[in-house]
Amino acid sequence: MQPAPLAAAALPWLADAAGFEKQPAAGWLKALRETGAEQFSQTGLPTQSWEGWQHTSLRQLASIKFHYSAEAATSDAKKLPPKLLEDSDRIVLVNGQYQPHLSAVPAGVTVMGLMEAVDKKVAGLEEHLVSVGDLQASPFKALNTAFVRDGIVLKVESGAEIARPVEILFYNIGAADRAPAVYPRMLYWLEENSALTLLERHAGEGVYLSNSYTGMVLESASRLKFYKFEEESPAAFHFSLVSVRQGKGSVFEGFSYASGGCLAREEYQNQLIDSGILSSISGIYLLKNHQSHDFTVLMDHFEPNGKSVQHFRGVVDGQARAVFQGKIHVRRSAQKTDGNQSSHALLLSPQAEASFKPELEIYADDVKCGHGATSGHLDEAALFYLQSRGIPAVEAKALLIQSFLNTTLEQLSFAPVKEIYQERIRAWLSQ
Amino acid sequence: MLKIENLHVTVAGREVLKGIDLSVEAGKVHAIMGPNGSGKSTLSYVLAGREGYEITKGRITFMGQDLLAMKPEDRAAAGLFLAFQYPVEIPGVSTTMFLKTAINAVRKKRGEKELDPVAFLKLQKQKLAQLGMDAEMLKRGVNVGFSGGEKKRNEVLQMAMLEPKLMVLDETDSGLDIDALKTVAEGVNAMRSPERSFLVITHYQRLLNYIKPDVVHVLAQGKIQKTGGPELALLLEEKGYAGFYGDGEAA
Repeated sequence: MQPAPLAAAALPWLADAAGFEKQPAAGWLKALRETGAEQFSQTGLPTQSWEGWQHTSLRQLASIKFHYSAEAATSDAKKLPPKLLEDSDRIVLVNGQYQPHLSAVPAGVTVMGLMEAVDKKVAGLEEHLVSVGDLQASPFKALNTAFVRDGIVLKVESGAEIARPVEILFYNIGAADRAPAVYPRMLYWLEENSALTLLERHAGEGVYLSNSYTGMVLESASRLKFYKFEEESPAAFHFSLVSVRQGKGSVFEGFSYASGGCLAREEYQNQLIDSGILSSISGIYLLKNHQSHDFTVLMDHFEPNGKSVQHFRGVVDGQARAVFQGKIHVRRSAQKTDGNQSSHALLLSPQAEASFKPELEIYADDVKCGHGATSGHLDEAALFYLQSRGIPAVEAKALLIQSFLNTTLEQLSFAPVKEIYQERIRAWLSQ
Repeated sequence: MLKIENLHVTVAGREVLKGIDLSVEAGKVHAIMGPNGSGKSTLSYVLAGREGYEITKGRITFMGQDLLAMKPEDRAAAGLFLAFQYPVEIPGVSTTMFLKTAINAVRKKRGEKELDPVAFLKLQKQKLAQLGMDAEMLKRGVNVGFSGGEKKRNEVLQMAMLEPKLMVLDETDSGLDIDALKTVAEGVNAMRSPERSFLVITHYQRLLNYIKPDVVHVLAQGKIQKTGGPELALLLEEKGYAGFYGDGEAA
């Protein structure tokens, strides 16, 4: 149990949850929301004395009053940013709410709003939604659960190998006088032997809080490529929790590009619950001014012959802060596990900070696990070498930063997204 | 082309160059020979503009300009090229990308038109063939996984692409076997012209069998101790640097 004083701090966050009581909903859903609210009210937001929160302060977040709105949110299609890839289908959510009229998916994929899926009694959905795990250990998940209503259910049918990439755009609009809190809850469900490439983009305008919780279910031998763009508005707060549950022989290739928001935390909890699973979540971050970004990853190996990868690299400028916390948990039966983790940061200014917490918790005796973490400055010798060939200092620095980040991008198996990330890096460097 | 006058340089509080005077005319090859620690590499880095070297006295004029007032990239654009003793590895930047960025940066500064991709590749292919280099190398990160010989050849390739006026070769022969040495020297010799000058910095006479100097200087204890013709190099090969230490300092 966490100390009691936090509880009072929890109440403003739950004020708008009361409005839900008037809305018709299935009994189990109401009970779920109540559980979320109750659990959150006992803890409030985590403080820096919490395990896993030592490096990220939420003081800035607590100083703003956010409001949840149950009202329909929408946006003019013309105001939305263009698709990331020409050849793709896109699903749009505005302030967490699914926009069917702006969305399309390829054959073999179905998508619907979360409440529509609940109404249609999509098989397995209720069971998935109520299995939220320990909410007290995860206050953002508890808060998301207290407001469960928005978001989507996306399903790829058994055996469908979807060639056309699908983008999911989360567009958030913050009003100057009333900063919205959005709590989308997603389920991405890949049935047996199916395959999908997802691009998840988070963007918006003004001040808002995006607190999302995404469950990903990869049934046996399914393959999901998941490429995230955390490009929230500079004044926004982004907290996302992704829980990936992988079946036998499934492959998850996850990558996140983080450059947005003033305060952000992306948490990934990958459960490799069967054998022969490949699971990777890697990423890059580009931070400046007073930005703060936190990647927290857990790779949980349950069964033998699993492989997990976490490779993170980033550049930190101004007074920005980067945090990486990565854990590889190998359970007793997970023999022949291959777990790899690395974290490298380039600090571009004297005030920039990077904090890393690599963790290995291993109970099996025949495993191969490794980790490495470094932070440092640009290589002066390399910089001089480039300048001595006529490349101006600014350009030489940009080239070195690109090369530092490229090492991580090279692992991506989907070339078009690699190019978009490279473009993003170039644009960031030329600002 | 290059004029060094009374150059004094301090590195980390220690005076390494103690009054160098040197003049290199257009079209000439000057060799600077000296024992380890004589200040050879310091001189080459000072010419190219590396940070960390404090010039306490003296001046350097290059093509009529005050070299010491110029940034390293501007020196390159003006036509100075340093072939590094230890070329730096830059993982993640392909050699082609590096060459293209460098050549266009230099062309831009020289007021020339940037090369389009087709013209660039054509030039690169031509220079590669001249140096007997494998195009496969260019896809790899700059100098990453290159052998000693490949690194030096890559330096000569860059030199050939950038077409400098003054080439400073810092211990280009170090770490090379005789075949690699010949190829590198041929690459350098192919660039000799009445408008180009070379400053060949070396410990051993060996390289000078392949790149024939017009003038040889002996650098020891931070000063040019002796200047002569090619025969001076042969004399050093035979007798060593012992005679240039003076003051009883050990060789």
